[in-house]
Amino acid sequence: MEKFINILKKLDRRWIFLMIFLSCIIPFWIPSLFDQEFSTTKETQRVYDIVDGLKENDAVFLDWAFDPTLQAELLPMAEQFLKQCFDKKIRVFIYYPFISAISLGENMLESIKKEEKYSYIENGVDFIHLGYLPIGVDMMMFSMYSDFKSTFGKEGKIFRGIKTFNDIKYLMAFAGSTYPESYILLQRRFGFKMGAGVTAVTGPDFVPYLQTGQLDGMLFGLKGAAEYENLRISKGAEKKLNHRANAGMASLTLSHLVMFLFIGLGNLIYFYDRKHKKN
Amino acid sequence: METINFILDNTIMNTTFQAWISVLFTLMMLSFLFKDNPLYKLGENTFLGISLGYGWVKLWELSVVPFLIRPIKDAYLDFQPYDLTMIFWLLMGFTMFFRFSRTKAWVANYYFAFLFAYIAGYEIPVQVQQLFIQGSNMMKPLLEYPTFFEISKWFVIIFGTFSALMYFFFSKPQKGLLGRTARIGIIILMINFGSSFGATVMGRIALFIGRAQVLAADWFATMVLSSLIIVFLFVYFKFIHKEPGLDDEQMH
Repeated sequence: MEKFINILKKLDRRWIFLMIFLSCIIPFWIPSLFDQEFSTTKETQRVYDIVDGLKENDAVFLDWAFDPTLQAELLPMAEQFLKQCFDKKIRVFIYYPFISAISLGENMLESIKKEEKYSYIENGVDFIHLGYLPIGVDMMMFSMYSDFKSTFGKEGKIFRGIKTFNDIKYLMAFAGSTYPESYILLQRRFGFKMGAGVTAVTGPDFVPYLQTGQLDGMLFGLKGAAEYENLRISKGAEKKLNHRANAGMASLTLSHLVMFLFIGLGNLIYFYDRKHKKN
Repeated sequence: METINFILDNTIMNTTFQAWISVLFTLMMLSFLFKDNPLYKLGENTFLGISLGYGWVKLWELSVVPFLIRPIKDAYLDFQPYDLTMIFWLLMGFTMFFRFSRTKAWVANYYFAFLFAYIAGYEIPVQVQQLFIQGSNMMKPLLEYPTFFEISKWFVIIFGTFSALMYFFFSKPQKGLLGRTARIGIIILMINFGSSFGATVMGRIALFIGRAQVLAADWFATMVLSSLIIVFLFVYFKFIHKEPGLDDEQMH
């Protein structure tokens, strides 16, 4: 036992990095080995139900506040949200509060368009990139409630019937920071309905807003994205084209198991040392 | 021009080239986990340079041109009375440069005064409103909560907050009831730190999974490039890199 403990004590940290690396990458190569099922949280279900309950030609506002650094968690959410909207023929207004987010959003829409089912979607008709404005959410909201179209200076058929933000049925903010709080601060004042898609790190900060009803639906981390994918798959979406987050979930699970193993071993060393020091 | 287009199409614009570059830079950044090395430095500086360059170009294109240069040009060609407001704010913005002067730095204070007043005037009411919304939600009758779990959450929030605050109450010795409450407080704080840490680790792993997806998708590039990087690291640390000796350490 002591020999084993001594080996563990001297273990180079780079072996741990290597184990985590392998545990993340192997499930992508052998996905069938790590297939798993998990339940859907009511917050994810709520986002799905809200979009599902919208009528054809309704409009939603998507705040795309993340850049490629956060795409692993947030891109699958945004993808599924957009696809669900297109399935329901809902118009999507996409706003980018950060310059670095624009190309990611544009690329995502281009890749969705490549799928046969969504080949019909057109910028300015089914969705529109509203671009970036160098102003805060507060000023933008006041402007959108005064005149939606002129706030962004864009043209297109998509603006038909949208005079102010009152005509938008749902606001969805995807972010890896506390940025959606800027909308939440104004939510009661204007009374719009909003949800959020956030990373696992920032997720806990938004739970109080769910309890008060300021947030109506939330997608939380990679698991939230995978739940959303599964909901869409259960309603007929093709699994092959909608598994980005589910593919990552196997990696997440295996890497956590490896971490649990090392935490367990660390504790074993600690208690073993303590016991032997006492003796 | 055609030659340049040909080169661009077959390098930067080529999807295979892009995939290999993506894998190469991911592996270069990960090589830091072994040891600090020139490949990591190259990747880091390339990332910073490209990010800054891209950011500045986009900022110019999406912010400076449509919101400053174009309106000024329009105002010059066809001046309207409301253009005066734009010129006023432009001048106010330029007062920020007075910060560079030691004697005239006070000029910039007028702009800052307006900015802070705006932020305070906007933020304070909405933040207070936010507190009331959160507070009033906690004051609902307990029986209105749909499940026993929801009711138990209320107790945890109220008594957890109270006991955590008591842990930082040092006006009296932490003995007896106060001591026991403070003990619960530290447990609550530890659970909070633990869950925050757990969520952060999960988030960081999720970020790495994004990179792992890139590496797994282009497995051939990953195998070839990681082998080359391993060879480079071996050669570099074995034959080129000199470990800092005593004299070098003393120099630092």
